[in-house]
Amino acid sequence: MEKNKKKLIAGIILFGSLWGFSEVLLGSTLENAGISSGGIMTGFFAITFLVASKIFYRQPGIQLGMGLIAGGLRIFNPFVGCQICSAIAIMVEGAVFELIWYKFSFDIEKYKTYTIQMSMGILTAFLLYVSGYTITQILTPILAGSGFYFENLVIFMPRILASGLLPALIGAFMVPVIMQIKKLDLTVKDDLYYPATISISVFCWIFVISIWFMMA
Amino acid sequence: MFIGKEKIIPIIAMIVLLIGIFSAIYVNATQINKDTITINEKEFTIEQLFRFTLSKTILTDEGEKNGIALDDLIYKIGIECGECNEYTFKAKDGYQQTVNCDLMQKGVLTDYSRVYFSDTAHVLWVRDVIEIEVR
Repeated sequence: MEKNKKKLIAGIILFGSLWGFSEVLLGSTLENAGISSGGIMTGFFAITFLVASKIFYRQPGIQLGMGLIAGGLRIFNPFVGCQICSAIAIMVEGAVFELIWYKFSFDIEKYKTYTIQMSMGILTAFLLYVSGYTITQILTPILAGSGFYFENLVIFMPRILASGLLPALIGAFMVPVIMQIKKLDLTVKDDLYYPATISISVFCWIFVISIWFMMA
Repeated sequence: MFIGKEKIIPIIAMIVLLIGIFSAIYVNATQINKDTITINEKEFTIEQLFRFTLSKTILTDEGEKNGIALDDLIYKIGIECGECNEYTFKAKDGYQQTVNCDLMQKGVLTDYSRVYFSDTAHVLWVRDVIEIEVR
């Protein structure tokens, strides 16, 4: 396998695992505290990991893979019951990010103004959250065996759109902050890159799965 | 005239924000506040429903939930052929979910007007129920 491909796969696993890990631990903690976590998790964590990975790797397909990895880890969430809904929502968020930033990634250097960065934050966080929420509302009733009713979704759509406001505003703040990474020299040598990415990813998975086993 | 990405992206972001703001206004304006539950076009308070129906406790991933047995509720309000119908639970905020009679056997309506079903995704758990439509 090409050296570059190996590096990308390690990056997908690392960022996907970190995203899934934050969803499981922090998302569940917020939910247990009675705080609706979806918007906060998308605005802060999904945007952070997705944009950071875009800056580091600048290749198409990375965020789609991250969504699959993070969603996969979310299935093992030991803290709340609706694992499949969250997992689907995360995977969709990865795919939607990929679509929105597909064109943007190739000229990421061109967008240096805060206006563009904040606008991308608003757009990305809003669309990620709304699409993840909508897909959950479609697929989960089908998986639960009760079937999907289009009118139920249409009536609830204003609520879904309204709930996209919070992640959009968080995204407007987060993207310019994450874009500052570009100014840092974060080159990591191969002999440190692979052990670091693999050990962090393995830690995330072992931690979540071991709690899942303990709570099962 | 060609509009570059530098201009179109902020415009789209503004539109997205406006959609969110207007949706939030719409949701607040259309929220229905009432203390009764409409079932098959009749109004009931939650206390009335508890008086004439059986209670049961179900186990969910959020622990035990006690409330009115939904299958008994359907029977007690006089719906013939409960198995022929589907039931839509509607919430104050417009949220609604439709379930079949198999799920009704696994569900309860609590004294704080929330519907729970055992072994199902939380998407089906409707809070602040104001209407149960029989379809």
